[in-house]
Amino acid sequence: MSTAPAHETLGRPVSATGRPKGRSSPLGARLRGVPWILPAIVLVIGLIYFPIGYLGYASTLDWNGFILSTPTSIGDANYAKMFGDPVFWNALWHTVLFYLITFSVQTFIGFTFAGVMHSRIRLANAYKTIVFIPVVLAPATMAPVFRQVFDQFGQFNWLLSNIGLGSLTRPWLADPTTAMPVVMFITVWEWTGLTFILYYAAMSQLNPEILEAARVDGASSFRVLRSIVWPMCKGTTAALAVLGLIGALKTFDIPYLVTHGGPNHATEFLGTYIYYVMAQQKHFGYAATLAIALLVLAVAGGVLLRTNTSRSEKG
Amino acid sequence: MFEVHGRASRIGLQLLATLMILPFLAPLVFGVQGSLGGLGLGNYAKVFNTGIVPTVFTNSAIVSVCTIAIVYACTMLAAFGFSKLRILGREVWFWALLAALTVPEAVILTPLFVVASNFDLYDELLAVILPLAALQVPFTVLVARNFFDGIPNEIMEAARVDGANDAQVFWSVVLPLTLPITAVIIVFTLISSWNSYLLPMLMLTDQSKQVVTLLPSFFTSQYTNDQTGVLAAAVITAVPEVLVYLAFQKYFERGLAAGALK
Repeated sequence: MSTAPAHETLGRPVSATGRPKGRSSPLGARLRGVPWILPAIVLVIGLIYFPIGYLGYASTLDWNGFILSTPTSIGDANYAKMFGDPVFWNALWHTVLFYLITFSVQTFIGFTFAGVMHSRIRLANAYKTIVFIPVVLAPATMAPVFRQVFDQFGQFNWLLSNIGLGSLTRPWLADPTTAMPVVMFITVWEWTGLTFILYYAAMSQLNPEILEAARVDGASSFRVLRSIVWPMCKGTTAALAVLGLIGALKTFDIPYLVTHGGPNHATEFLGTYIYYVMAQQKHFGYAATLAIALLVLAVAGGVLLRTNTSRSEKG
Repeated sequence: MFEVHGRASRIGLQLLATLMILPFLAPLVFGVQGSLGGLGLGNYAKVFNTGIVPTVFTNSAIVSVCTIAIVYACTMLAAFGFSKLRILGREVWFWALLAALTVPEAVILTPLFVVASNFDLYDELLAVILPLAALQVPFTVLVARNFFDGIPNEIMEAARVDGANDAQVFWSVVLPLTLPITAVIIVFTLISSWNSYLLPMLMLTDQSKQVVTLLPSFFTSQYTNDQTGVLAAAVITAVPEVLVYLAFQKYFERGLAAGALK
């Protein structure tokens, strides 16, 4: 048995006579694993592929979604509408901006905090727990709290007035220029714990001798962190970058619950816009078209994820 | 990472760490504080008096347990099949699963809505459970297959020589080795199903079918502008989550970290 190649499968020991592979394994043997993967395949085809196929059809319709009303086929008019729709382009732009900013801030805070937590700190476990709690809490649970905090009469304005910045107070969520930063803040609050845990784990893997050598050469703590630790955590950063991109495309709960995509579409994302077009405007064909656009972007993100993973597996 | 010599720099570093966690702590404190405004604990009494609290927790528990069970069963079977058995066009099937890895909930929203409204699947917990499971399975299969690939085939060959069939090998040889990956699958699925908001909001309109994430908005619609009551509802849904996390802290942190890097 020890000579059998590692990838050889269970049910088919290598034929001693060396007959051609096709002959030695009848169709039954080649299908033997199929029942095992069937439940997962059926689930995913039935609830993801089938809906996506349906989307393709629905995106050519002018339809309010009720079976009793007859849909009108309008060809690619929905797509033409989408490419000329400023709210769609805004939602896309918001996603890009949101991704770049939340990813950078989370990385900066998470990485720095991981460095600090690898030093001698009292109450380190309590600190780590506090940063990680938001990761497990539902955005839907925290949304009312943030609506309160950033309200005209909320704690944030109270804080500003008490530190002499009373001139900055405003209804943060009702102001189109500040609503998006608040949505970003909540996202950073929610996900930095995960960034931190990943960097913290990566830093535990580093060879202490390298760090020690740098210190002997007179490098400061900040210098070590920036020039040695940071480059060595490159793999973690790359994984987080892709994860953040996919997360940005999935954004729904926070903008929907905190600002409803408003004011005046100022915090509209693709997810919230699809829901708005579907539930408020009852324009199912157009919602399906937007969903197709989101799907294309998400699959592109997935391809990025795979190439990224396989590259890090190789090197 | 930070070398500290002497008292001053040690205090400085401690101060830096404290400053960094304050923004993370503050919203939690503000939430609890806000929920106690006005009537104080009376706000909590008001939420419990609606009688819906046990209902939403029961429903959330059903949704999470069923989603976890479906995801776990599908994942383990599929990962074993992909990793250890012969399947015609194996990699094609695998890529078909992986392609669904990044599909956001919002993409399948419209079709699900149409199906639900035309076949009267509203207010069935299954209408939330099945899509949640389907969205989770591509990810868990990927993670689990990587894990199964690491289990040496020789272990199974031995059982096979003794006359065990695929099912017996799976059940008594492979499954007992999969504890670490089980923790990852459960943590990931628990968080995504318990915290899910969009699908329940869309599918579960009847009061008796709602889940915990809908509790604050239920309260908003019932008692407009009762901010303190809404916050009390939020705290009531948050406390069990925090307790479960604290009880299984190690599994949550490792599980989420391991999953994120795959």
